[in-house]
Amino acid sequence: MIDIAFFLVFSAILFGIGMFGLITSKRGVVTLMSIELMLNSANINFVAFSTYTGNADGLVFVIFTIAIAAAEVAVGIALMLNAYKIQKTTDVDKLSTMRW
Amino acid sequence: MIGILDYVWLVPLVPVVCFVLAGLFGKKTPQGGGYIAVAGAAIAFIIAALASIDYWTSDYWANNQAYTVDMTWMMVGTFEINFGVYIDSLSCIMMLFASFISTLIFIYSIGYMDDQGEKKTRYYAEVSLFLTGMLGLAVSSNYLEMFVFWEVMGLCSYLLIGFWSFTHPEGDEASFRASSAAKKAFLVTRLGDVCLMAGLFILMYMVGSLDYADIFDNAAILADKYGKLLPVAILLMFAGVVGKSAQFPLHDWLPDAMAGPTTVSALIHAATMVKAGIYLIARSFPLFVQCTDVMVIVAVIGGVTAIYTASMALNNMNIKRVLAYSTLSQLGYMVLALGSGAYMISLGLEGGEHAEELFLLGGAAFTAGVMHMVNHAFFKALLFLGSGSVIHAVGTEDMRHMGGLRHKMPITAYTMLIGCLSIAGIPIFSGFWSKDLVLEAAFAPYHHGFGDAGTIFLILFILGMITAFMTAFYMFRMWFMTFCGKERGHCHGESPYNMSVPLIILAVFATLSGLLMLAFKSFGTYGVLESLAVGFGFEFPFHTGGETIVQIFKEIPTYIALVLAIAGIGIAYKLYVATPYDEEAFKPENHGALYNFNAKRHYFPELYNWISWKFGAGIAGIVNAFDKHVIDGTVNGLSNSACGGGDGLSAIQTGYVRDYAGLVVVGVLAILAIFALIFLYGGGF
Repeated sequence: MIDIAFFLVFSAILFGIGMFGLITSKRGVVTLMSIELMLNSANINFVAFSTYTGNADGLVFVIFTIAIAAAEVAVGIALMLNAYKIQKTTDVDKLSTMRW
Repeated sequence: MIGILDYVWLVPLVPVVCFVLAGLFGKKTPQGGGYIAVAGAAIAFIIAALASIDYWTSDYWANNQAYTVDMTWMMVGTFEINFGVYIDSLSCIMMLFASFISTLIFIYSIGYMDDQGEKKTRYYAEVSLFLTGMLGLAVSSNYLEMFVFWEVMGLCSYLLIGFWSFTHPEGDEASFRASSAAKKAFLVTRLGDVCLMAGLFILMYMVGSLDYADIFDNAAILADKYGKLLPVAILLMFAGVVGKSAQFPLHDWLPDAMAGPTTVSALIHAATMVKAGIYLIARSFPLFVQCTDVMVIVAVIGGVTAIYTASMALNNMNIKRVLAYSTLSQLGYMVLALGSGAYMISLGLEGGEHAEELFLLGGAAFTAGVMHMVNHAFFKALLFLGSGSVIHAVGTEDMRHMGGLRHKMPITAYTMLIGCLSIAGIPIFSGFWSKDLVLEAAFAPYHHGFGDAGTIFLILFILGMITAFMTAFYMFRMWFMTFCGKERGHCHGESPYNMSVPLIILAVFATLSGLLMLAFKSFGTYGVLESLAVGFGFEFPFHTGGETIVQIFKEIPTYIALVLAIAGIGIAYKLYVATPYDEEAFKPENHGALYNFNAKRHYFPELYNWISWKFGAGIAGIVNAFDKHVIDGTVNGLSNSACGGGDGLSAIQTGYVRDYAGLVVVGVLAILAIFALIFLYGGGF
């Protein structure tokens, strides 16, 4: 059996990449992708711990997370499309009409 | 016993009700509420008279007690402050003359203030409140209650002296003078009031109560127990008198107070305000007699005031100012008599072979002071109302523009002549009796060789004699300049009846009040003066009125004073009637240095200003700087730091999601790092 540390390190790296993308990128679509990466790194942790402890709760949680992530992406992309229609850009720094 | 004594609290209450009625509804009634004020004063007088009769026929009086009823006003811990009435002969006399003279002045005001339009409402409301202050002061049962009414009078004097602050019939200059005179009166008397309050605090500390009854019963014990503190308390209380009764060196507000309407001057000088200070000494007599040395100071202040202010009246050209200075001088007489009386009684209290005689003379001096207060009230009200009548007819206060008026306004002229004769001390007229008793009181300590301060009292007696001469001179100078010689101005003729009738009534009293008080066996079997000895915790052995009269004519000083008074009148006649009026001599450029020095009131207003600029403005500057920099600085600093901090912190709020995300990461990492450190070095939680 593969040591759990490999799964945790992999998920941590994935989370770090997602976080890096979220902080550095100005592009809206990339931001959404980064969030997706971070969610999935959490999913990997769930699955890993669930398998190692033999408790199915984590697996159930992952199903929910995937479903919600799908919904979130649908909303997010719809937002980006509409933003692009109006502003002709998906640069989040420029979508500042409602900023103080 | 007719039971009205139980309702004596109505005496101050009626005028205050009139104050409210006249203030609120005065505009809707004829004369702007004038009749309400007159009715209030008259009702107060009637109740006061009935209550006085009741008191003088009651067992309280027969048993040498004051009638007193108290209710609790407030409780502070175990310290109880009462609100009540304290009636003895002194309060009765005070209520009677204050309400009677005020009634006449209010009637007179209806004529005098007729042309004032809407402002009359304000006038009548304020004079009613003024009367409340005086009557409340007279019936109060403790010092705090008295102080409340004392301050009510202070307020009303400020309002009434400044009656013409906004618009004056003589223009802006005069209205400015009125407002500054009002401020001066208020502030100068305030100085005395603060001292009085300090004195009352000490008294409260010593006795634990401010009720007259408690304090007077314990006066002798206090003197033993607080040998050092009691004189301080009494001196501070006397400072209150100095402010209120305008004694030297706080005398300067009273001449300026002439800026108000003449009726107000009459009210302040005769019935209320300045009499309150004299009343305070008379009322506190049982306390004051405990301090021999302080009483010498009181007498000296009185004597100095008498001559000093009389000197300023000698060359003044303003008819009202002359009267104002004469009031100051007469107030000095009253303080002198009371101080000298208290001095003699305080010596008597120490015992010794002369105790009986000292009590007798001290009692006589005390009655001299009170009697002079009452007599002065009558003749000064008369003189002021007379001068008001003259001013009303001539339209100026400057005596250089009067002259020869006795043909055009005979009632005013001859009633004022009676007033002048009375104040100058011509026999039969009221002023003669009381002034003579005052001078005798000043002479007695030296004459009989009592105490160590005999020489001081001899000097005071001589000053008093010179004052008597000056008084006769300046009063007749005023009368001659106004009513004799050639007419130098324009005159409308005699004033209306509602002004002349009060003058006639007052003239009758100015003639007879002295004799009445001495001889009239009033309300039972005692004379009014004798009744004063009642209710002080110790008894004066007393001369009856008849004995007093005989006594007066047995003493040599009586005749000296009389000769001096006649000489004063003679010189005035020589200078102002026998010598033809010389306009040149009255021009400012022909005045000598002494004349100008006197006319400038010995530079006392300048001294007041100098002190207030050097001293008052300095303190005010420091207070202002403290307020601006420390208090405002603290408040502004707090608000500025809040604003600046807010601005600084709001810079973090960029609005960029990734910045927030970065901060969250940093935060999480920091928390993790702390946990890690705790685990590594702290060995877990």
